Amino acid sequence: MLSTENKKEIGIFCIVAGLLMLIPSLNAWGPDTGAASVSSFQVSLWGKYLTYAILAMSLNLLWGYTGLLCLCQSLFFALGGYAMGMYLMLQIGTRGAYKSELPDFMVFLGYQELPMHWKPFYSFFFASGAVLWVPGLVALIFGFLAFRSRIKGVYFSILTQALTYAVCLLFFRNDFTFGGNNGFTDFKDILGFTLNDASTTRWLFVASAILLLLTYLITSGILASKFGKVQQAIRDSENRVLFSGYSTTSYKLVIFTVSAMIAGAAGALYVPQVGGINPSAMEAAKSLEVVVWVAVGGRGTKWGPVIGAILVNLLKSYTTQAFPDYWLIIMGSLFVVVVLFMPDGIVGVYKQLKSRIAQKRSLETSAA
Amino acid sequence: MNTLFSSFFSRSFCYCLTYLLCGLFCSVTLHGQERTAREVLADLVLSSDDEQEALIEELSNYGDPVIATLYEAWRTGGVYTLKKGEELLLLHFTDQQEWTSLATGEVIALTEEEASNVEKERASRAVRKALKGIIDTLGLKADDPLERIDSAIKMGQSQKPEFVEPLKARLEVEADAKVKGAIREALAISLLKNGEPSEVLGAVNELTEIKSIPARGFLDKILEAEVTAGEGEGELARATRKALVTIEEHIKRLEFFGSFFRGFSTGSVLLIVSFGLAITFGLMGIINMAHGEFVAIGGYVTFLVQTFFINTWGLSSEAFGWYFVISLPVSFLVAAFIGLLMEKSIIRFLYRRPLESLLCTWGISMVMQQGFRLIFGAANVQVNNPTWLMGNLSYAGFNMSYTRLLIMGIALVVVVLTWLLLRKTSLGLHIRAVMQNRGMASSLGIPVARVNSMTFALGCGLAAIGGCILSQIGNVGPSMGQQYIVDSFMVVVIGSVGNLLGAGLSAMGIGLVDQLLQPSLGPVMGKITVFFVIILFLQWRPGGLFPTRSRSLDD
Repeated sequence: MLSTENKKEIGIFCIVAGLLMLIPSLNAWGPDTGAASVSSFQVSLWGKYLTYAILAMSLNLLWGYTGLLCLCQSLFFALGGYAMGMYLMLQIGTRGAYKSELPDFMVFLGYQELPMHWKPFYSFFFASGAVLWVPGLVALIFGFLAFRSRIKGVYFSILTQALTYAVCLLFFRNDFTFGGNNGFTDFKDILGFTLNDASTTRWLFVASAILLLLTYLITSGILASKFGKVQQAIRDSENRVLFSGYSTTSYKLVIFTVSAMIAGAAGALYVPQVGGINPSAMEAAKSLEVVVWVAVGGRGTKWGPVIGAILVNLLKSYTTQAFPDYWLIIMGSLFVVVVLFMPDGIVGVYKQLKSRIAQKRSLETSAA
Repeated sequence: MNTLFSSFFSRSFCYCLTYLLCGLFCSVTLHGQERTAREVLADLVLSSDDEQEALIEELSNYGDPVIATLYEAWRTGGVYTLKKGEELLLLHFTDQQEWTSLATGEVIALTEEEASNVEKERASRAVRKALKGIIDTLGLKADDPLERIDSAIKMGQSQKPEFVEPLKARLEVEADAKVKGAIREALAISLLKNGEPSEVLGAVNELTEIKSIPARGFLDKILEAEVTAGEGEGELARATRKALVTIEEHIKRLEFFGSFFRGFSTGSVLLIVSFGLAITFGLMGIINMAHGEFVAIGGYVTFLVQTFFINTWGLSSEAFGWYFVISLPVSFLVAAFIGLLMEKSIIRFLYRRPLESLLCTWGISMVMQQGFRLIFGAANVQVNNPTWLMGNLSYAGFNMSYTRLLIMGIALVVVVLTWLLLRKTSLGLHIRAVMQNRGMASSLGIPVARVNSMTFALGCGLAAIGGCILSQIGNVGPSMGQQYIVDSFMVVVIGSVGNLLGAGLSAMGIGLVDQLLQPSLGPVMGKITVFFVIILFLQWRPGGLFPTRSRSLDD
């Protein structure tokens, strides 16, 4: 039978799923004006937030549950985005500014024909596969090298940041065949559906919502399994796990790769909803932002990263409009405050308050 | 006014400018000859045919650029005579539409009537031709050695036969070794085309000896001509080939040393920036993502000190040159103070949570960056080099800029001072004790909190010195520190965390590898390669260059 804990979790899961479905439903069948109206712009905006939330969850899997502060999550996100972007670029066909079969930037840079590695991306299925295996492979190779030489803690963070930095430089190059500075943009349609259509926007949102729920299920599944127990044990004391006879390297490698694939899938959904991708999406600062979402929401909690990603991004879009000169200062101060005073994030505030009140009470009773 | 200008007269090109702009001042040149070039020229204009030769001969000893101006005027009809009673005035109508005395350069006010009575003086064909030779080689006799070198090089490259003799003549009287070298080179290049066959061979050998880079193209032509003439294996062709190979090797060597030099200077900047990081990160376990912003503080303090100097003493004053020297300690103190405040208010809560110190300091870095933008604007601010830092030190055809040499010097000083601080002072002893075992140090009575603050302030101060130096070779802007931060972290990781010697070596190593790879791979690919080399290096030595030996499990 299910325990109360499990029942509570299933309940929350259903509520979140219901809330998520509310947005596209209101957009499709809701009123055009008033408080209950949801425009297509808002649908795609929230779709973007959902992909961010998935990205935050993938990092949480690493940082929250394995203790690996990875600063290349935005790189995996962007790699997935680029893989999907390649498919979308090829879908433009001859409707580009240069009326050529080749993507615009290739014509502009003087390419005669499509480079070999672009050709398979005409197929949606190949592209969706690449969304997973490209970031996965990068994570596998890099993780193997890093974990094998026992790089951990802060050094792992620094190395992942340097990896992001190096690949980002690579993508900024024009001759890297991925559009250089400008990246990909001007997408027209996906699987034959026009991207600007309200219904396409809705379906992309639904896909993001499903991926989010799926990621939640994967996380819960891993955590409940024996694998997840080892994983959390690595976070708490890697040496003890090592001495108990577990190869921490392979555990870390698996979780690193899985997390990279989830991030890649999030990136693939992000690109059609935002309408473009360029190398600045994989800048080192973006990875740090993801870390901040997780920290604000609550590291090592299942819904914390989702809450963090959405709240921070809402705050960001509000402050950039309301205080264009001061928004960085506001956000920066927020991080400082969160790290100093809310080590468990927003989700942890309730617990923090409860324990503080309990402490006070016990003091009072002992005094009495 | 007059005395002010006459101080410039010792430099003939200044004189030339003064003359063209004002045309006011008498021509006092410091040649040591009894008469000025103007006086000789004036005589020449008025002389009879049989005197001309001697006068031209005399004139050829002068290097005064005024000769060129006056000759041009004479040739195009800007020199006039005027009978004023008994006196015969020789006049020059300048570009400024003024009448001046040709012999002295003084402005002469003419009445309208006088102006209508002037008669044009024309140079004869023979004189023109003779003077032309003098004027073309005028630069060889200039007072400024650099100008002489310049003119010799031009004459050599033109390969005109008429320059061979003047070059030979000058070579014999030239005293300056550098100018002599340039003239030899120019002469050899010129002889390649104009010399007798034996002279050509001599010139080729000479060019081989001095490893003349500009001669390459001319040697190529000779070789081509020899090959087409069927003399591809002749003595000259062989010598030329040898010359080309020697020069090519010389260029490669220069390029290699150039990359080496740049590598050392890049490494020096990296060293100063990463030393601060090695202290905060290595010794204290704090990942200071705002380290780059402390670099920027150094840059902005330098800018402020510079502005202060300009406002107080002016841009061209002697005092201005000192602003950079002053800004080094000032930026150190300002950044150390801000670092101290930051440690006291925020960082001290994070010693047990290194990963979270990363997040927190990143937040601080965002605030600081935006702060810079609000205070100084988003664009880069202008920081000038003091004049004493401009220019190069040349040695064997290889130039080293003073700025970069100074950077290396400062890096060395920083290394020595930091080492002394850590090894020879009680603060250093405390820092090392706290780094090794915080709890034990505290229980032995070391004021851990104070040591932490001082250490953090020291690290921030060093970052600012890095920024101060960067202001001399790069831009000062809100995100100037960002590009160094990733590299600096790598330096610390490679050099083994907490080991300053390792940090120093790895900074130099990364700087060198980066600069040696750049010529063949380009800046971006060079950086990427460096990064992958670092990852592979860590496979081989996971603990960096000098791993800390410790019995503690989690170190």
